[in-house]
Amino acid sequence: MWRKMIAMCMTLSMLLTLTGCGNSKTASYKGVTDSQPDKGLEIMGDRVTYDPNHLVNDGKPVELEWWLWDAADLFGSIAREYEKIHPNVTIHIVNNPWDGFWTKLPLALQKGESGPTLFNVHNSYQHLLLTYMEPYDIDVNDLEADFFTAKSHEIDGKIYYCDFGIMTGTIYYNKDMWTKAGLTEKDIPKTWDEFREIAKNLTIFEGDEMVQAGFNYNGDFENLMQGVPYQYGNTIFDETGTIPSLTQDGQKKTAQMMLDFYEKDHVGDKDFGTDAAQSFGQGQSAMVYKWGHFYGYLKTNYPDINYGTFEIPTVDGKPFAYDRYNGEATPGINKNARPEQVEVAQDFIRFYLANQEKQKELCMNYSLFPANNALREDKDLQSNPAIQAVSEHIDRYIWPGAMPATLGDNLKIACQDMMYNGTSIEEALKTAEDIVKVDLSNQEFVASENLYDKYSERK
Amino acid sequence: MKKRVLKGLLYITLTVVGLITVLPFIWMILSSFKSNEEISALHQTLLPQQFTLENYTSLQANFNFLRYFGNSVLIAIIVTVLVVYISCICGFVLSKYEFKGKNLIFGFVMMTMMIPWSVTIISRYTMFMKAGLQDTYLSLILPVMVSGFGIFMMEQDISSIPNELLEAARIDGASEFRIFHQIILPMSKNSISAIAIFQFLWVWEDYLWPYLMIDSEKKQLLAVGLTMFNGRYSTDYGGLFAATVISILPVIIVYVIFQKRFVAGVSAGSVKG
Amino acid sequence: MLRKRKPLQSKSEVILRNIVLTFLVVYMIIFLIIPVMIAFVGSFHIWNPLNGTYKWTGLDNYIRMFQYPTFWLSMKNTVIFCAVVVFFRIVLGLALAYGITSKLIKHKTFFRTIFYMPTVTPLVAVAYVWKIMYNPQFGLINNLFGFDINWLYSSKFALPAVMLMTIWKDFGYAVILFMSGLLSIPSDYYEASNIDGANAWQTFRYITLPLLKPTMVFVVITSLISYLQAYVPVMVMTKGGPGTSTFLSSYLVYDQAFVKYNFGYASAIAFFILIFTAILTVFSFRLTGDSTSKKKKVRS
Repeated sequence: MWRKMIAMCMTLSMLLTLTGCGNSKTASYKGVTDSQPDKGLEIMGDRVTYDPNHLVNDGKPVELEWWLWDAADLFGSIAREYEKIHPNVTIHIVNNPWDGFWTKLPLALQKGESGPTLFNVHNSYQHLLLTYMEPYDIDVNDLEADFFTAKSHEIDGKIYYCDFGIMTGTIYYNKDMWTKAGLTEKDIPKTWDEFREIAKNLTIFEGDEMVQAGFNYNGDFENLMQGVPYQYGNTIFDETGTIPSLTQDGQKKTAQMMLDFYEKDHVGDKDFGTDAAQSFGQGQSAMVYKWGHFYGYLKTNYPDINYGTFEIPTVDGKPFAYDRYNGEATPGINKNARPEQVEVAQDFIRFYLANQEKQKELCMNYSLFPANNALREDKDLQSNPAIQAVSEHIDRYIWPGAMPATLGDNLKIACQDMMYNGTSIEEALKTAEDIVKVDLSNQEFVASENLYDKYSERK
Repeated sequence: MKKRVLKGLLYITLTVVGLITVLPFIWMILSSFKSNEEISALHQTLLPQQFTLENYTSLQANFNFLRYFGNSVLIAIIVTVLVVYISCICGFVLSKYEFKGKNLIFGFVMMTMMIPWSVTIISRYTMFMKAGLQDTYLSLILPVMVSGFGIFMMEQDISSIPNELLEAARIDGASEFRIFHQIILPMSKNSISAIAIFQFLWVWEDYLWPYLMIDSEKKQLLAVGLTMFNGRYSTDYGGLFAATVISILPVIIVYVIFQKRFVAGVSAGSVKG
Repeated sequence: MLRKRKPLQSKSEVILRNIVLTFLVVYMIIFLIIPVMIAFVGSFHIWNPLNGTYKWTGLDNYIRMFQYPTFWLSMKNTVIFCAVVVFFRIVLGLALAYGITSKLIKHKTFFRTIFYMPTVTPLVAVAYVWKIMYNPQFGLINNLFGFDINWLYSSKFALPAVMLMTIWKDFGYAVILFMSGLLSIPSDYYEASNIDGANAWQTFRYITLPLLKPTMVFVVITSLISYLQAYVPVMVMTKGGPGTSTFLSSYLVYDQAFVKYNFGYASAIAFFILIFTAILTVFSFRLTGDSTSKKKKVRS
């Protein structure tokens, strides 16, 4: 019986493997040589330009890998477009799961040549990747002229990666609930005080039980805590960008305000749905604070929700910065790849950065405000509610820098402690600050807050 | 009369506990046929209102599901067979032979169970890279080939086999290898099935190590593919349920086939031993 | 007696022993000792193998560990977690095994199969399912039992919720072990106690329990070892939250190593846990009178 079972399993697995083999194509790579430099194509881009009419790697065949964690089709289409111009180049797209990607990628880059030549970057993992990266072979001034956030990615006069788009927070509101409560577009709040009143208006109780939350920030508290204190003129780090402080007035006031929304004004509740995103989708919460990707989330999961967006309210209408933003980055280049691969990668990056059409597609896909100045007024992008809400004051958003995970993680713990465990604001923030300080003292991290245009207005 | 009441009560208790035990499974299977919207709807029903297979079809659309599945089955079987054989032979030597340093070796075997993987995984990775084993199945098999749990269990079980039996065989002129293959192995069938199912399960669900080691898509395992459903920003509930059903089913099937032996084996390793 | 058997040591015995021992020793050196040594040395460094940071800090990681409030909290949680889960595993396992082995129950295999099912399912998958089951709005638990509890986001209920899942997942293991323990007790023991006029409780207390001791020891030791390393339920269900209320020490190791990439610090914590586990294991063996070695002598 036992032996039969094993035999059966073996056969089964063999069969499966064989059918698996049958399905996959085992085409080996046959290089194509390109001998025609001048293809009569137009030059792309404004300051960072790309002239397609040249040969890469002298037209000899070359292969490289590009690692990503998402949107393989979209990024792949950029590679295909490039391959069309340079038929001697083959770019293999390797799509990885997000879980574990930041362990796998650095380890793969340690292998040097056999690691990927191109890889998508997320700035919060910059500290793991920078040692393996080759700076872009593009004039920094050109980059900074075209991309308004490029300056913040400058390291010792070089740029290793920059943003193709940026994402930040906005308030999403349910239009049906808005109308039902007798509100119009004119009622869109500019300050948190106005916001509070609107939220009260939108909250519905049946007896003692809340059936509709005016404002739900469950799961977003730590994001608010990382952004709203800027409105008070508080930066997380001091001028040197190395010493963090989480116990300033702005942070305490923000925490107090958020807690008051629930505990004093009862416009929402910590137990009213564990996840604001879901609650909004289910039509239970009238307003949520979400980042740009929420647009895509609603589109796939809750297409029937009728919603609008507006810019995050401020304390007094004249914020130091409205909120923090974060960028979605262009690929990095493996400096230990073979020289011809690096050459092609550099050429490809130039093509990528000069390719406004593709950048637009990427921004549309992720609902990002475009980093490329040429796309600022683009009508299609402006029609996306997540982008449109932030465009007016986009220069008043700040990027704190390639923040190591410890800051967000410990703020999250502090927020949960305040919300669910009844820890006092003072104590929760102090604990977080202490841990973050110790963690950062072991890393060479410098914040980018002082690169913000309006940094001098800070209090 | 009293007996009948007692019997009734016992049956009720066992049934209730049994129901609680299977309920999550039933809920999971039914939910895998629901759309995302229905899963997170406020008014919940146990049965899907609108039966959909989409969660399953999207599995295949997302990655070469059958291929990964086949790879996982293959690796799980190879590792399981190896672990079983190695555990048996080590268990045999450790339980039936006397030699210096036996306790020390046994202590190390126990220690393999106590070391958290997060501590050794990086150094292990570096070693495998230097040995040029990346992207090979050997790299998935080597580090799990010896199981502390397996050896511990077999040592306990084999020590319950009477020495007289072995002595008799020795007097008949059987070599130790023959004794092992013809007496020990057949007599440990139960523990073997117990180790087999546990090992199969562990290989089946292991995620990070295969992800780190395997680069080419063709060689990737199912557990890695399934994590594609846990995106950066959101979880696809329906996909998750379907993926979970798929990852649980094979193990359940293996279990049900071997369950009789397996159950006897789990106990043999601990009690009689 | 085994020890008294004059080592026959036939040629084939020596060969087999040497092959197996060489294999084990080489394997242990490569896959256990070397990685552990690397990690041990690493625990005295600021160590991030992903970007090549490796700086000597002496005992800093250990000092930092002892000063870190979350570390102590996680140790406390781990002890509570282990105690409660092991307790329920044993009580539930014993009670159910007692019930199934009772002569009154006919469908023994059926119940056994059912109870054991959660144990043979992948933990990660199951933990995800339970996470959704705990959802206060559309989760099965609140809907079925009419609770209104935000299970995984309440400092009171989060750790119990994780423990409940673990108990559900693992109680079957104990049921099976106790069942065969019970079935292996010779029936004349019970007959004798019947003649002596012992009632059901006395029989259980003075006959069954002492005879089940080896099983108990095995369950306790294997459970302790595996629960001291448990981090998956926490990783999937709560990420240690709300706040730090469900941090278990092994989750802390995982979090420091693979979320914050402080491998040196993570190694320091891991060594503390290792020593703690080893002491506990030895202690449990001692406490129960080193039952395994005794048994072996009896048998041989």
